Amino acid sequence: MRFALRRTGQAALVVVATFVLAFLLLQALPGDAIVARYASPELGLTAAQLDELRAVYGTDQPIWVQLWHSAAGFLTGDLGTSLQSGASVETLLAAALPSTLLLASLGFVVAVLLAVGIAVAATNGPGWLRRGFRSLPPLFVSIPVFWLGIVLLQVLSFRLGLVPVINASPAEALILPVLTIAVPIAAPLAQVLIRSIDDTVAEPFIAVARSRGAGPGWVLSREVARNALLPTLTIAGVLFGELVAGAVVTETVFARSGLGRLTQEAVANRDIPVLQAIVVISGVGFVVINLVVDLVSPAIDPRLRRAVHA
Amino acid sequence: MIRTTPQRTPRRRRPSIRLAVAAGVASTMALTACAAGEAAAPGAASEGPVTGGTLTYLEHQAYTTLYPPAAGFYPNGALVNNLTARLLHQDPETLELEPWIATALPEVNDDATEYTFDIRTDVTYSDGTPLTAENVVANLDLFGLGDQDRALIVSEAVNNYERGEVVDDDTVRFHFRAPAPGFAQAVSTINSGLLADATLERDSEGFGPGNAADIIGAGPFTVESEQVGTSIRLAAREDYAWAPPSAENQGRPYVDAVDIVIAPEDSVRIGSLASGQAHIARQVEPQHEEQVTSAGLSLHAAQTNGVNNGLSFRFDHPLLQDIRVRRALIAGIDREEVVSSIFSDAYPLATSSLSSTALGYSEQEDAYAYDPELAEQLLDDAGWVVGADGIRVRDGQRLRLVVNEALPQPRSRDVITLVAQQLREIGVELELFQGDQAAQTAASTDIDQIQIYHSMVGRADFDVIKSQFSIDNRNTLLNEGADGQPIDAELEALLQQVASEPDTEARAAASAAVQAHLTEQAYVLPFFEEPQVYGVQPQVHGFETESVGRPTLSGVWLEG
Repeated sequence: MRFALRRTGQAALVVVATFVLAFLLLQALPGDAIVARYASPELGLTAAQLDELRAVYGTDQPIWVQLWHSAAGFLTGDLGTSLQSGASVETLLAAALPSTLLLASLGFVVAVLLAVGIAVAATNGPGWLRRGFRSLPPLFVSIPVFWLGIVLLQVLSFRLGLVPVINASPAEALILPVLTIAVPIAAPLAQVLIRSIDDTVAEPFIAVARSRGAGPGWVLSREVARNALLPTLTIAGVLFGELVAGAVVTETVFARSGLGRLTQEAVANRDIPVLQAIVVISGVGFVVINLVVDLVSPAIDPRLRRAVHA
Repeated sequence: MIRTTPQRTPRRRRPSIRLAVAAGVASTMALTACAAGEAAAPGAASEGPVTGGTLTYLEHQAYTTLYPPAAGFYPNGALVNNLTARLLHQDPETLELEPWIATALPEVNDDATEYTFDIRTDVTYSDGTPLTAENVVANLDLFGLGDQDRALIVSEAVNNYERGEVVDDDTVRFHFRAPAPGFAQAVSTINSGLLADATLERDSEGFGPGNAADIIGAGPFTVESEQVGTSIRLAAREDYAWAPPSAENQGRPYVDAVDIVIAPEDSVRIGSLASGQAHIARQVEPQHEEQVTSAGLSLHAAQTNGVNNGLSFRFDHPLLQDIRVRRALIAGIDREEVVSSIFSDAYPLATSSLSSTALGYSEQEDAYAYDPELAEQLLDDAGWVVGADGIRVRDGQRLRLVVNEALPQPRSRDVITLVAQQLREIGVELELFQGDQAAQTAASTDIDQIQIYHSMVGRADFDVIKSQFSIDNRNTLLNEGADGQPIDAELEALLQQVASEPDTEARAAASAAVQAHLTEQAYVLPFFEEPQVYGVQPQVHGFETESVGRPTLSGVWLEG
């Protein structure tokens, strides 16, 4: 229990630090939302008119005052309004989040399937097959998401015409983005999985199980899988960050709306309230997932349970 | 900085009879060549425009606002051009004005301070409200005066506006504080797109993303639905019956709907167009032109009829105050290499600061000749000696200049990179200002950060040259002193003359004088006449662009 409380407290601290750091870093970007939106020479506004607009939007106040307003807003559930479009940040997030969650969760499921498939093939079967599959994760890790997305589009959509990109049905529209986002996630997962299967197979208890007549399938599913799961679960929590970063690129390449696209536009427009909310949401997501991983680990591995209680 | 347009190539085909016959023959031959089992509609193309179908149009970026005076940004303009009607219409080829919502060209008094329009009384907005004289005046009052409280700006195209007046049910009059000879053309641009009364009450946010369906105009299309940042669906207005007289299609648009899909990534936009997933794509970069044509599609390069894509030398900066340095920069840059190695035939080499199709164009012969020896001589004379690393130095100061990246313009970074290599040969260091659009905009008016400004502006009126260089407008030369007065008063006076001479010939003469002055003082180096390049599927007919290259979709029809 003490362990759970301590981890939760640490998690909360990380979220607060994320909030403050994000706020300060965003302020350091050159140009502000007023410049981005109104200072285009085409509009021909004078410096005095721009200052009036800053006063209207409250961006002329000292940075600490703005930080305080923003923090107070977040605590009361008011995320503010977008400086670019004037829509409330909650509305923008509500519109963007479902699409990204769907993309990310499907991407993650596909990544897990892919990783398990690679790991099983790389640890069982003939030598040439093992070697082949063992070289896949390093290859996948080094493929840039951006490049992969474009190649998938070029080959599957533009050349072979298998999946449309423009005016695709919701299901069709998910195929290529999910693949794109899954590959770089699958790679480290598979790597860790292969490694822990290797380690587990070398353990004495596997030799014992085999000597008692257990077949390879039984050993893999009952003995190896359970022991190899823990490191994989830990890395999966860390990979959440990768998933968020992948969404920014994937959504831009595939012209999907979502959190990633919102992020990219908010950066371009110096839309601080929107960015602030996105950073905090991503931070909270990251922290919560890793917290959950930490808290459930003891349930999976009895050895950890002892360590915690000790 | 973002408006452009081109119109230069063979303007789109008006489906002439000869063309229709040719198409008919071609399609018959195609049919014969195909398997006999194909019972396609015989000679669909030869029967002329077909009504129906959905056009898929790929856009480069999402729109930012539909407030007409701020709609110069191409994604905005593409929408406003098709959603709104204007008092007048400008022929994109001849640049002549013709009636649209007005029943005739306006009556103008001698000093161009009063414009009187007779307007149609049978026009309705898509929300059912009538387009009245009161409504027209309310529109122009907003565009001409702006509304600071709602963050709605004054239209750049409307100068010296005082007030509008309802004379009677079908007559409106506009009064100006000073001559406004550009006003007739101004009311033909998308920046003067007429809006219904309810729409005029919105604030700046109310014109932003998410509100498209509530922006009510009297144009051939309405917004049916919008997914913010992703796509917009336009629906044809069935009862649209007030097209400009020169329009081929006098009735409702031929297509039932238009899907405008945002595909920001170039390779995705061009790839999906070339693979047949869309009908039209805007912004085909020069390096992608071949991909489009080799897939059997055509390119539509529309000229923008304004100030050419080029560099403005901010002459008040200490390094650029000496005209010899400015002349050396011009002589040290090989424009032909820039255009031939980075662009295509769709980008004609500039022959003045204005495009050769712009109103007021005056050729500047031999003004931009490449002569590196002359450039070095000029810099030597100005006291700049080559330092240890090849860059010239004077009084311990390096000849180092910073130029912005014109993000809305094609391949600005490549242009600057090549120009920097060329200038290095004569001992000048040119650096590209790094940063995204917001950072570029923030730095663009600071002469300490940016000494050379890369830009262009499209507008089919004499006023365009004032838009680019006047201290009231874009002021790309930063010709405004600390006291608010112009540093080069002669230039500013000439620009004001362009925008205030009531007589067309006098305006042309003033514009020519500005161009000569820019050449004489070596203030600018124009590169090329910037087009808007579209890729178009062969089954798309009747695609046109307005006078600055924004798509006009009411005449588009889809074959078979």
